[in-house]
Amino acid sequence: MSKTTLLITIAFIVSIGVAVFSTNTNTDYQFLKRQLKVSHVLHNTNKVLPNFSLVDHNQHLFNNDRFKGKWTLLTFIYTHCPDVCPTILMDMSMLKSILIQRGVETVPEFVAITFDPKRDTPEVLKTYITHFDKDFLGVSGDQTQIDQLIKPFGTYYERSIEVDGKTVIIPNGQAMPESVTSYSINHTAWLYLISPDGEIFAGFPTPHKPHNMADDIELLISNY
Amino acid sequence: MKRILISVVLIFQISLVHAMEYQKLSAIVIHDPWIRTAPPNAPMLGLFMKIRNNTNQDIRLVSVQAIGYVRAELHRTINHNGIMKMQKQSFMPISAQGDLDLKPGSWHIMLIGPEIAPKEGDTSMIYLEFTMVRHKQFMFKLEKVK
Repeated sequence: MSKTTLLITIAFIVSIGVAVFSTNTNTDYQFLKRQLKVSHVLHNTNKVLPNFSLVDHNQHLFNNDRFKGKWTLLTFIYTHCPDVCPTILMDMSMLKSILIQRGVETVPEFVAITFDPKRDTPEVLKTYITHFDKDFLGVSGDQTQIDQLIKPFGTYYERSIEVDGKTVIIPNGQAMPESVTSYSINHTAWLYLISPDGEIFAGFPTPHKPHNMADDIELLISNY
Repeated sequence: MKRILISVVLIFQISLVHAMEYQKLSAIVIHDPWIRTAPPNAPMLGLFMKIRNNTNQDIRLVSVQAIGYVRAELHRTINHNGIMKMQKQSFMPISAQGDLDLKPGSWHIMLIGPEIAPKEGDTSMIYLEFTMVRHKQFMFKLEKVK
């Protein structure tokens, strides 16, 4: 083999290696996206979480640092929800069991932040959330901060009240009439995987399929 | 999935219900009613079942009452462009010789303000009122099913 041929061969091998490496590690994760079953890569370095300071159901500070150094599966719920939110939490419980049964190396921490801190105090959340799994963590806090936090997730909620037999929608951020004591909340119902860098990495739309979600979570974490 | 199954027990409000009236009652059959086990402080619960209409007429479920709850309402969860909306319903339609599935993420009965959080083994009574059926109230006993 001539010296020129050898250099070309080495250059070719190196270029292939660089291509494979970049495919697996580039920031848009195209390689990964094609393999996911029920989730979407949401990783976007330009979309950072705002600084927030909330309180978990054990009355401990819950801020950006609580997402650092570990994987977190996050959702947003409210405890007056009779249908969608209990279903999400049941799905999260099933998902955790599946991951543990598979013996995966990394099981995310499961966190649920309330849309409705006025009614969902840390005490209320502790009783409610731990019913689904003793290690699930509920988070409450300041409504304004929660409203800011949900924005980069693309999460949306609105309150629905009944006035004279008619449904009236109160968008988030808009004050409700003081006389209103009963309301429901319309909301998106995604689960989000937060990376150990504290960034939104992937999202799981409803309906949730725990076995497929477990497949995707294994894939996402192993390719991070 | 943990859930409480509700055994369907028709209890006649009037003891002297004759055979013809019983036939009219059986025009509506409830299959597999259940409530998901809930946190002890859950303020709202979803009640699910399949309602069978054995008549040749479209009927409506127009109201529900539940003993042990502040009130009960007819609801439907609708996925509207990714936003899950809880919509109170004035009735639920059950077509002639058809079924209506009350299930998570869809039609359901919202049980509001449980006096005691139901758990496996507890009992409760649910009254359903339909149109087009002479005897409009059905009573169910919630029982633990292992």
